[in-house]
Amino acid sequence: MDEQTIFVLRRIFKKIPSRNIEDLLKNWNCLTADQLRALDYTRPKWTLVENIISFCEERRLNMKHITNLEMINRIENPDNDTWHSCQLVEPQDDALFVELTQFKEQLKAYLEGVIRHISIKIKKHEDEALWIRIAWGDNFSKPNHLKPTYVVHHLHTSYVFICNLMAKHKILLYQALVVSTKHGSIKDAHLSNRSLTAMRTLLLRHYQQVFPNNHSMILDEGNTYASHPCIEKEHAPHEERRDQLASEAFGDSPTPKLETAVYRLETRYRGNGKTTLSDKEELFRGVVKFSSTSLLHSLRHCVASGMVEGPVTPLLSAITQKGRNYFVITDKGPGVSS
Amino acid sequence: MTLLTPFSKVPELNTATILLVEIEEQLQSKLADVIVHYENEFNVNVRLARKLPLPVENKESRPRIDLIVFIVNLLSERSLQSVESSLNHIHSDYFLGKVCFLVTDARCGSYTQDRLASVRKLAASHQCPVICAEHRTADGIHAAAARLLSILKMSAGMSPIPTTALYLSTLTRCSATSDLEED
Repeated sequence: MDEQTIFVLRRIFKKIPSRNIEDLLKNWNCLTADQLRALDYTRPKWTLVENIISFCEERRLNMKHITNLEMINRIENPDNDTWHSCQLVEPQDDALFVELTQFKEQLKAYLEGVIRHISIKIKKHEDEALWIRIAWGDNFSKPNHLKPTYVVHHLHTSYVFICNLMAKHKILLYQALVVSTKHGSIKDAHLSNRSLTAMRTLLLRHYQQVFPNNHSMILDEGNTYASHPCIEKEHAPHEERRDQLASEAFGDSPTPKLETAVYRLETRYRGNGKTTLSDKEELFRGVVKFSSTSLLHSLRHCVASGMVEGPVTPLLSAITQKGRNYFVITDKGPGVSS
Repeated sequence: MTLLTPFSKVPELNTATILLVEIEEQLQSKLADVIVHYENEFNVNVRLARKLPLPVENKESRPRIDLIVFIVNLLSERSLQSVESSLNHIHSDYFLGKVCFLVTDARCGSYTQDRLASVRKLAASHQCPVICAEHRTADGIHAAAARLLSILKMSAGMSPIPTTALYLSTLTRCSATSDLEED
């Protein structure tokens, strides 16, 4: 093992909490059973890490094994970094027939053709997700394994999730994805979040959705819990209606754990002419940011409990309907963001 | 505008009806459960509403309401505003001892004291009693339910003692505005 490999290994362990190390090493399957038994997990983390490094040296592990370890850790803990989503558009006729091996080969061939030093690792997770780890180098320097880019893609879906991508590599990766998935182009989907799981459930529509339906009102009546016959709610129909509205807009609970929604305002003030704001020619600019540990759940609660009256504004329901959490509001309503 | 009137309907035999008005719907259902299980001398109907006016569709099926309770959560400005607007939809006959205010969270935070003062002013100007309740513990809800029931007994004419809601209200109404203003 050379200096750099050990350095990368140390950096990987630095980010992993001690309690996860044991399971991770078992999943990694690169140390022998005897070595695993010899490790004492009750010791301080740095001594433990030194032990692991010496074992790795005994086993003569190389960078490939180390990157594999990092990938396993990232796949197990997908919710620790900020992810961005992109949408593949204009699928070609044979886009649905792209196979896993074909995709892998094309992606690798394209990127390796453009950059001489690059390390690409593709792993298929149990839930059909493809995890791609790319360590970028350039024509003169070796791949930088300290800041790899992670890409998650489900084959035959139009969404790609990217984490830790530098601007100069963006165009290369986008082009590689477009070519290997047989699509026309790729665009930003304006959704970014810390939790990859939530983004996937939101965009791939894996959460419990409720659709506008006249019959659901009748079904709901059967489900209302039996209360005392002497207690009667005056606003009971309204309550059901509110719950229905909330579910239509934000899905039934549990909702995906989205954390923020950002609205960039580029609007004009339209008052009744009494203030000086409306006279100004220039746009009123501002950023409105909603944040919560589970934003969709909070919004749903606001509507369902009647804190917000009336129908849900399309600005809020667009989060789930369009699957994005970054909006630019121009003078003519929600527009396309840059 | 449809006003809620206390004497437009014939009362049912051995039955009293209480209306709990709370915009946030936090306390009212818990309180309603306790009230219906607590009282066993006469039948108590509990109606839950978020605000007044009540929906017109229920007008026929709604029994005569003997006591209106406005629940004000002092932590929320909206709760107070909604009560203020709801007061306009009650016939003035109700203010002869058939309305009361129930205040929660009076001990939390610093804003609540100002709001408590405004609730008391509101109650004093409408000649109504103010009850402070603890809504986080089961005991507190029981105590509040017991107090509401004893007022309900008067206002529905269920009390064996020859007393009336009007007489009770002269004793219980909130009149503490003068000492609040001195502070």
